[in-house]
Amino acid sequence: MKEDTKEETMRAPGTGVPADVAPVPALPPHYSTASPPDGPVTPSPLRAWFYLVGLSLQRQARVGQIVWIALGLLAFSGLLVGTITVSGWWGMQNRRLPRSREGVTYQNWAELTDALSQGAALPGSPEVAGINQALVASYRAALERTDFYVFSNFLVFTIFVSFLLPIWSLSFAADSLGGDREGGSLVWLLTRPLSRPAIYLAKFVALLPWSIGLSVGGFAVLCLAGGRPGWQALRFYWPAVFSGTLAFSALYHLMGAYFKRPAIVALLYSFFLETLLGNMPGYLKRGSISFYTRCMMFDAAQNYGVEPEKPSVYLAVDGSTACMVLLAATVVFLVVGMVLFSRSEYLAAD
Amino acid sequence: MPDLLDSADTGGRDRALEASPVSRPASVTTEPNSSPADHGKWIADAARDARPLLLFEQVSKWYGPVIGVNKVTLELRPGITGLVGSNGAGKTTLLRLATGQLRPDLGQVSVRGIDAWSVEAKRRVGYCPDADAFYEEMTGRQFVEAMTRLFGYPRREAVRRAGAALEAVDMNGRAERRLRGYSKGMRQRIKLAQALAHDPELLVLDEPMSGIDPVGRQEFVALFRRLAEQGKCLIVSSHELEELEKLTDHVAIMARGRIAAIGTLAEIRELLDDHPFSIFVECAVSDDRRTLAKAILDLPDVAGVEMEDAGGIVIRARNPRRFFKEFAGVVLEENLDVRRLETLDDSAQAILGYLLGGGR
Repeated sequence: MKEDTKEETMRAPGTGVPADVAPVPALPPHYSTASPPDGPVTPSPLRAWFYLVGLSLQRQARVGQIVWIALGLLAFSGLLVGTITVSGWWGMQNRRLPRSREGVTYQNWAELTDALSQGAALPGSPEVAGINQALVASYRAALERTDFYVFSNFLVFTIFVSFLLPIWSLSFAADSLGGDREGGSLVWLLTRPLSRPAIYLAKFVALLPWSIGLSVGGFAVLCLAGGRPGWQALRFYWPAVFSGTLAFSALYHLMGAYFKRPAIVALLYSFFLETLLGNMPGYLKRGSISFYTRCMMFDAAQNYGVEPEKPSVYLAVDGSTACMVLLAATVVFLVVGMVLFSRSEYLAAD
Repeated sequence: MPDLLDSADTGGRDRALEASPVSRPASVTTEPNSSPADHGKWIADAARDARPLLLFEQVSKWYGPVIGVNKVTLELRPGITGLVGSNGAGKTTLLRLATGQLRPDLGQVSVRGIDAWSVEAKRRVGYCPDADAFYEEMTGRQFVEAMTRLFGYPRREAVRRAGAALEAVDMNGRAERRLRGYSKGMRQRIKLAQALAHDPELLVLDEPMSGIDPVGRQEFVALFRRLAEQGKCLIVSSHELEELEKLTDHVAIMARGRIAAIGTLAEIRELLDDHPFSIFVECAVSDDRRTLAKAILDLPDVAGVEMEDAGGIVIRARNPRRFFKEFAGVVLEENLDVRRLETLDDSAQAILGYLLGGGR
């Protein structure tokens, strides 16, 4: 008891500070964060959320390595498309007929047939010649429309939907939460009075303008470089690109909340799982985002002869169903991500 | 007779904490010029003040098969509490539990009676993390303002609070540079400023003085003492007890996920003196252990000696400070070649390491 009393006297009252420590000059007297000069200000969670959206939007502007890769791919693809456009290789006109030994192109064949029917070199009545000319005119018209078909099949389906769209979507999406996790700066958000789902949603809202900007904007650049068929493709396909970007972004954002190295996981998913699933026969391909994106595109351009190579095998769904699936997938990924993020613990090293 | 380990786990914390006369000063108020509605809120707040600022109730936390925090019960009220322990002792896990970054696997952590994981609890906590990760592209001022705005303050108010907090950590004149260009000490100050800006009741500071020069440490000590005088609760972790001793004499010592001891340093030393402990001693020469055992039994603090089959001896003793002094005398006097000396009690090992280490 006696020792307790002695101990009491050694401590500065109320602070737990040892009395034998020399007093240090006090802090500036004006230091106060407790009350503003014109009365108390009540913090607002909504205000904090909107600020987080703005802050995240701003921080997404930091161009990371993967965004540079995406921009590099855009430049390369743009150059390729521009070169093809200048060479006039989108249409079938300059391509040779199959098994054509003399190197006759589709255009040559049309001109030759036309010339023959014009000069009545072909045997038959004038009616036959007239029918012949009508057929040639139809053939020419169809030939002129092949540029959109070639552009769609080569650039849009083979290069863009299979490769560029997933890569461009993940450039910002995987880094939105993943970057904060890998950099260790997520702690600043997790210790603010914001609910975990609200943080997750704010980060998603903030990444969308960048992700959509890169994917839809990049697609528009390629279409512009493609000339007339490009314009046509942009007009038909942008809703599909937009919807696909939404779904991909939500998926990669979810990966950012779950995996320690989301960019790598997202790349693996894009190159292997998405490609594999997207090319599987039967209904298995319906597990891939690119399938629904393609279906929206097929539906939009069906009047121009754009369709799956083997429709009976591909089993496409109609455009509105595909759009609904993509939007529903976005919502599902978002909700799952919010739940996952709100339950997960993130260490600094994560 | 108080048991050091038991006191850390359950009832002992009450004894240790109640012995600490840390109380909220009567001069502390919440909001000035309050309306009747605010007055009601103030009364409710005051009623809630009776609840501990930070309370761990039998909290355990595992990282897979590894236990980070083991059945910790801890109650903190206004004042400064030092948290000391070696690497891996569980300090950072404990602080992350307090700030709602981690959820306990067992037990409960609450801030003023509110689950520490909740948004409401986080509003009351200021956290200065150990990790050195920032938004490097920002200036110091922008960062503190951003962190304050994330608490929901309008821009003007956030700017005012950030300015006051930067002033408090002596960074107002140096806050316009980008964070990536700051020294370790300046970064620590910025971390502290963001923790202060929203005027929290509870400050959780993980190694806040790491990388700070002696003058800066003195300033930090002054700041922490001032905050404690304002009625705030500070929990400050460090590897070095010496560093914390300048700040507070109310410390918790952690070892292997447990609070090995808590209270004033004098109380802990007193507990330690009464606490029986065992040490294992191995001599280079087999005959030496007989000589040692014989000599050591004559010491007043030695309760018993056991000869081990492995070749060493286990000594049970009390009052470690006096024992080790006398033990050293015996070894020198008998010219014994001691190859190994190990405390068999993990918690006691940690406490001894801190209380007796460094020539103490």
